[in-house]
Amino acid sequence: MIILFNYMPMVGLQIAFKSYTVGNTIWNAPWVGFKNFWFLTDSEFWRIVGNTLSITVLRFITSLPAPIILALLISEVKREWFKRTVQTVSYLPHFVSWIVVAYIIDAFLSPNGGIVNQIIQFFGKDPIFFMGEIEWFRPIVVISAIWKETGWNSIIYLAAIASINPELYESAKIEGAGKLAQLRYITLPCLIPTIMLLFTLSIPSILSAGTDQIYPLMNNANLEVSMVLDTYILINGLQQGYYSMASAVGLLSSTIGLILVLCSNKLAKIISGEGLW
Amino acid sequence: MAKRSNSIKMSMGEKIFQTFNTLLLTLLGISTLYPMIYILVVSLNEGQDSMKGGLFLWPRVFTLFNYQFVLGNGLIQNAYMITIGRTVLGTILGIALTAFVAYGLSFRNLPYKKFILFLMLIPMLFNGGLIPYYLQLNRLKLINTFWVYVIPGLFNIWNMFVMRRFFMDIPESLRESAIIDGANEVVVLFRIILPLSLPMLAALSLFTAVGHWNDWFSGAFYVNDNKLIPVQTYLQRLLSADSLSMIFGNNRMIGEAAFRQTQVSKMTVTSIKMAAVMIGTLPILCLYPFLQKYFIKGVLIGSIKE
Repeated sequence: MIILFNYMPMVGLQIAFKSYTVGNTIWNAPWVGFKNFWFLTDSEFWRIVGNTLSITVLRFITSLPAPIILALLISEVKREWFKRTVQTVSYLPHFVSWIVVAYIIDAFLSPNGGIVNQIIQFFGKDPIFFMGEIEWFRPIVVISAIWKETGWNSIIYLAAIASINPELYESAKIEGAGKLAQLRYITLPCLIPTIMLLFTLSIPSILSAGTDQIYPLMNNANLEVSMVLDTYILINGLQQGYYSMASAVGLLSSTIGLILVLCSNKLAKIISGEGLW
Repeated sequence: MAKRSNSIKMSMGEKIFQTFNTLLLTLLGISTLYPMIYILVVSLNEGQDSMKGGLFLWPRVFTLFNYQFVLGNGLIQNAYMITIGRTVLGTILGIALTAFVAYGLSFRNLPYKKFILFLMLIPMLFNGGLIPYYLQLNRLKLINTFWVYVIPGLFNIWNMFVMRRFFMDIPESLRESAIIDGANEVVVLFRIILPLSLPMLAALSLFTAVGHWNDWFSGAFYVNDNKLIPVQTYLQRLLSADSLSMIFGNNRMIGEAAFRQTQVSKMTVTSIKMAAVMIGTLPILCLYPFLQKYFIKGVLIGSIKE
């Protein structure tokens, strides 16, 4: 199984260095060296790398603290039923597909009849065609990612908070520490290992903005900012049939991903004294 | 947390904080739920009326017509069957296969174990990328078949590692005593190991099932036969459709088409889309509250490994 679906594609990567055309077999295609890497000198390619990075970095900065804050808030709730309800609701979007998220965005932001635009019009302003304007694309991606995954990602922090020894809080209270001081000197320091671990784990994904989320949101109007590496490979490779070139892009990003994984593993070892494997 | 509130009387500041916190979380909860409520409302409202705007919490002109329309469509019925089929088959076969491999690899004295594990670790770090993967699927004649949804994902390396970890934590003595009593490995696996791992297996199965249910990618790119697309891919195509003919598909049922002609004026594309979205999501949303405890368990099992 893994040989068929994981290793054979790796062997198939050789087409990155070949001139492959449909109908030919991978083995028979002529070698062309690094010719398929012509995209490296293409300014469009670098713009796409820039798009990818700005989406992943923005999403990363916002989606790191959000679940921590949510977990802190939830852990302070004292009524069990309320706590459970909040948790149930906040995990829910995780199980909704990105396609459905795209529909929701569409329904909310549509210039004719979308809720957001109705509110804008209520205040006497002109409706905004959010999906068609370049500067709105990144905020939409980031906000929808927060909406979908914050609750889910907070599970692990909630577990970490719950495992903090309650005696620490008791003695802090006796010492006269207020809520903020407890947060600052007990809760956050106890969460640092978890935060660092998740941080290092997410470094390698910096080059993948995620076809799942991005592709459904793409349209001709926002192509300039919405084209990311994943969708570039997809569209050039599967839709246009530039197999060799798209493989070369894929090879490059997998290789960088591998290097980043190895680095972040090293980093995790240094920080927590324990590697990921 | 509850303990603390009993032992020490709440101060004024704490009370304010509690109230504020409750309010904030309620607000967050509403903003999480609201998008889905909105979709539900639009899908239950009469199409032409929705265009006027002003719909927020409750359908103004209630109708089930959008649902009847979508459910009566041959394409979506078919897509539903595909989704259910791949979810059931993919989950059961996948979890079974992965569990067998994990059990085999959980033996401490298995020959070449290190090598096999190493072989499985590499694909987690590096992969050939989309295009070579596609070409491989093509070579295996999986493109444009139903099996492209099921077979490539059967063995999941990550799940294998989680299961293996779990199996290894089951005391060896249980297995040994069963062997002494005359049980063979298969009996041990089915009678002892798997029943003990039930919560973990349930969690992983649920993740796998949700993954199958929500996957639109393989339907969109590995298949181009309309009869083979699952619900999510159908929704993905529908997303960019702005005319009703795209929703109907190339349906040959003329009687049905004529019926539609008379009804088209009564609804808009948006309402139909929303109904389709609800139909594609509802099964998960309905099951979700009952399965929640397994989901959470699953996340934590996954994290123990790290």
